[in-house]
Amino acid sequence: MHETMDMADDPEYEEEEPSFSDSEDFVDDIEDDELLSDLMREKPLEADGIDSVVVVDNVPQVGPERLEKLKNVVNKIFSKFGKITNEFWPMDNGTTKGYIFLEYLAPTQAQEAVKNADGYKLDKQHTFRVNVFTDFDKYMNISDEWETPEKQDFKDFGNMRHWIEDPDCRDHFSVIYESGERTAIYANDAKESITVEERARWTETYVRWSPKGTYLATFHQRGIALWGGEKFKQIQRFSHQGVSLIDFSPCERYVVTFSPLMDTKEDPQAIIIWDILTGQKKRGFHCESSAHWPIFKWSHDGKFFARMTQDTLSIYEAPSMGLLDKKSLKIFGIKDFSWSPGDNVIAYWVPEDKDIPARVTLSHMPTREEIRVRNLFNVVDCKLHWQRNGDYLCVKVDRTPKGTQGVVTNFEIFRMREKQVPVDVVEMKEGIIAFAWEPNGSKFAVLHGESPRINSSFYHVKNNGKIDLIKSFDKQQANSIFWSPQGQFLVLAGLRSMNGALAFVDTSDCTMMNIAEHYMASDVEWDPTGRYVVTSVSWWSHKVDNAYWLWTFQGRLLQKNNKDRFCQLLWRPRPATLLGAEEIKVIKKDLKKYSKIFEQKDRLSQSKASKELVDKRRAMMDEYRLYREAAVQTLLEQKELRLELRGGVDTDELDSNVEDWEEETIEFFINEEIIPLGDL
Amino acid sequence: MKPILLQGHERSITQIKYNREGDLLFSVAKDTVVNAWYSVNGERLGTYNGHTGAVWCVDCDWDTKNVLTGSADNSCRLWDCETGKQLALLETSSAVRTCGFDFSGNIIMFSTDKQMGYQCFLNFFDLRDPQQIKDNQPYMTVPCSESKITSAVWGPLGDYVIAGHESGEINQFSAKSGEVLKKIKEHTKQINDMQSSVDLTMVISASKDNTAKLFDSTTLDHIKTFKTERPVNSAAISPIMDHVVMGGGQEAMEVTTTSSRIGKFEARFFHAAYEEEFGRVKGHFGPINCVAFHPDGKSYSSGGEDGYVRIHCFDPHYFDFELEA
Repeated sequence: MHETMDMADDPEYEEEEPSFSDSEDFVDDIEDDELLSDLMREKPLEADGIDSVVVVDNVPQVGPERLEKLKNVVNKIFSKFGKITNEFWPMDNGTTKGYIFLEYLAPTQAQEAVKNADGYKLDKQHTFRVNVFTDFDKYMNISDEWETPEKQDFKDFGNMRHWIEDPDCRDHFSVIYESGERTAIYANDAKESITVEERARWTETYVRWSPKGTYLATFHQRGIALWGGEKFKQIQRFSHQGVSLIDFSPCERYVVTFSPLMDTKEDPQAIIIWDILTGQKKRGFHCESSAHWPIFKWSHDGKFFARMTQDTLSIYEAPSMGLLDKKSLKIFGIKDFSWSPGDNVIAYWVPEDKDIPARVTLSHMPTREEIRVRNLFNVVDCKLHWQRNGDYLCVKVDRTPKGTQGVVTNFEIFRMREKQVPVDVVEMKEGIIAFAWEPNGSKFAVLHGESPRINSSFYHVKNNGKIDLIKSFDKQQANSIFWSPQGQFLVLAGLRSMNGALAFVDTSDCTMMNIAEHYMASDVEWDPTGRYVVTSVSWWSHKVDNAYWLWTFQGRLLQKNNKDRFCQLLWRPRPATLLGAEEIKVIKKDLKKYSKIFEQKDRLSQSKASKELVDKRRAMMDEYRLYREAAVQTLLEQKELRLELRGGVDTDELDSNVEDWEEETIEFFINEEIIPLGDL
Repeated sequence: MKPILLQGHERSITQIKYNREGDLLFSVAKDTVVNAWYSVNGERLGTYNGHTGAVWCVDCDWDTKNVLTGSADNSCRLWDCETGKQLALLETSSAVRTCGFDFSGNIIMFSTDKQMGYQCFLNFFDLRDPQQIKDNQPYMTVPCSESKITSAVWGPLGDYVIAGHESGEINQFSAKSGEVLKKIKEHTKQINDMQSSVDLTMVISASKDNTAKLFDSTTLDHIKTFKTERPVNSAAISPIMDHVVMGGGQEAMEVTTTSSRIGKFEARFFHAAYEEEFGRVKGHFGPINCVAFHPDGKSYSSGGEDGYVRIHCFDPHYFDFELEA
């Protein structure tokens, strides 16, 4: 009552409170259960602590004279896992029965005891078998009959390669915009892309396509989701808390996920390899740092994957996910390695160690046979660049030759398809900014020099090993090279700090097809067919003018797509063509026949497009005219009111009150000059 | 033709306005000067001196007798256009953001900023009653507590004021009762400028949300939207063509690079019916704060953050140009 008295000061509590005190003759007839059900529920039960009990079998059967000693020994062994609160030694005719019960403080301690003391060899005759007490119940209840697991329905996700069947061969691409709020899939078209799917909050960070374009992976706090099929249904989920990086195997059978959160000593969870088809976790790995993602590099066929750690190269086998031949390769000082994208060949290099020169080694897997070893001197750094088919390997070697100042760069070109893998060297006098192989050819492009004097050079590797400089351009505004996936064409781009300068080059005759600019561009993405290329300004790198522009491979600008806080555009990869080399040859021969059909189709759609635009404008104009006519009508009706407001002076037209004007003629000399009104 | 550059201000231009005939152009800026220019050659007719703070707004009545200015010195002043004499000083408790004469030239309105603990007011004075001026007592004052007025124009016939707000709302305030007659919200961010067409049937709003929109003055029906990728500071409707001109650019505060390319400080011409951009005029090296068409539609002017006013006469092919339809 005391409290209610205090509250009486408050005007809201002025009315008198009813008394809650018991009357004199009150008899308490409520059960504890009813009144304190929440507390009673926690009342200790007999079975409590049963989880902390272990049963130890194969304990020596001893009489009372040796019991004390045995107890000491057993206690010593089992108290390592926690304090033993209770023990029970069943006796039979004065000797122990050979099994005992031990109770720990907590179930975790009991489990620890099972894990570590099971199989403990006390002596030759006695090996302990330790089980959690509750397990006995569990095993007792298991039926002796084999139960066939229930067959799961086959889930049909429809045609997973539906997009390939588009009659106009439109390629898909994903776009993330509104700073990640929205994700859309478009089918690319020269005129205007067609929306295939658009969803809000589809991903929490970014998306990734699988290497053959079958799946779209989205990132979530709790894991990865894969989407695919005609309607982009969810195909699979991989629960990995805090996942931040993923990598698909080239065969699309496995996905590797990385999370910086959940690693524990016993249970490696930093990196998990999943089976995409079943959704099962195949294996977990520890990982200290994700700085060099992907940590596991896959062989081109997805049969092997490898990881480099201090002085070791570990190669694992799929689908067992075990170490190849059960042991890692010891390679002292290994700095970097890379799989050939065409064969099961692994290339790695080790730096100089006192008198031993630096070494680039090519090994065949799984035989581990060394195909080629190349020794190099005075090496500062090496970079491995494979041509996409694995026909060539270029090792970019930075060296400081004796007696010279500064670093020189050599390109060591390995011709993989020839006997004994011959190596040729191209010496570069200047610093290298970028290097890139033609994906399916024998050319490579190099950007070299110092800003602002940057040169681009194009080389051709001939069959006889001669490496020809085809052409060099000086004073380039570029820091990146983007080859068309079909080769021959490339874009030299000056991304970010170079303001987005673009040069479209045809390397067959080394001509600059076009020089253009996408101001502040941060990314360049070729479509998988090499017909189109997209340049974009991502909100992740630059906060204004976020847009992606579509160009033809010749550098003709087709579309400017401004999207609010646009983040990322990714083309959906295509699976490898099913056509053989012969069939492709035939198609190339008959190209004239096909091009006629396509040109006609283009003309048709173009005239349709311009007609659509004209129709749209006409409709807008008609609507606007209609509105204006109505507005002018009202205006005319109000003329009287206007005249009244302005004292009878008609001001409707500029010269309608011409009689009030005073005329004055002033002449000026005017120097005439024509300025264009921007691009009309 | 080469633009005429008017160099009469030391700070960024806040508003420019032609008189009805278009022979005069008034400009105000963040310095304290009010300038009047001959629009034909850019010669300065004179200045109106008296303000002691940034001048936010200027208007001239239909017969070019009086000029009205509002300033951050917490005053709205009425001037004799020809002599430059100050006719009235109306003191307020916060900065005057926008001002205007009604169709008859008898009623003036001005709005004050929400500032220093004062809220935004829309004030109405009848100039025919000298007592109102003398007592500094408007015949009506409308409080706008929700979102302050950032730009306003009179509707046709002086029945109401069309005001754009900081929230992006556009309201019609009756000049008789002060009540809100109509209320729309088509913009998502602050309205920077409102201008009427020459016949007052339409108004165009320029907004920080990167768009300008055309509305019917009476019904406030939305007619057209013109999209850019920068905040729009000002927009004007051509008196003779189906064109609108828009000025804007990266906000001065947000310009991080010195390149004028990234700021997009160009005047942009859109077709009013098709909502398509068809031309741009470069020149300013800062955002454009205000644009205005000459009443004859043959030239237009722009005032920028760079402190310059530029008068541009159109080339002949501007008048012949047509988009295919």
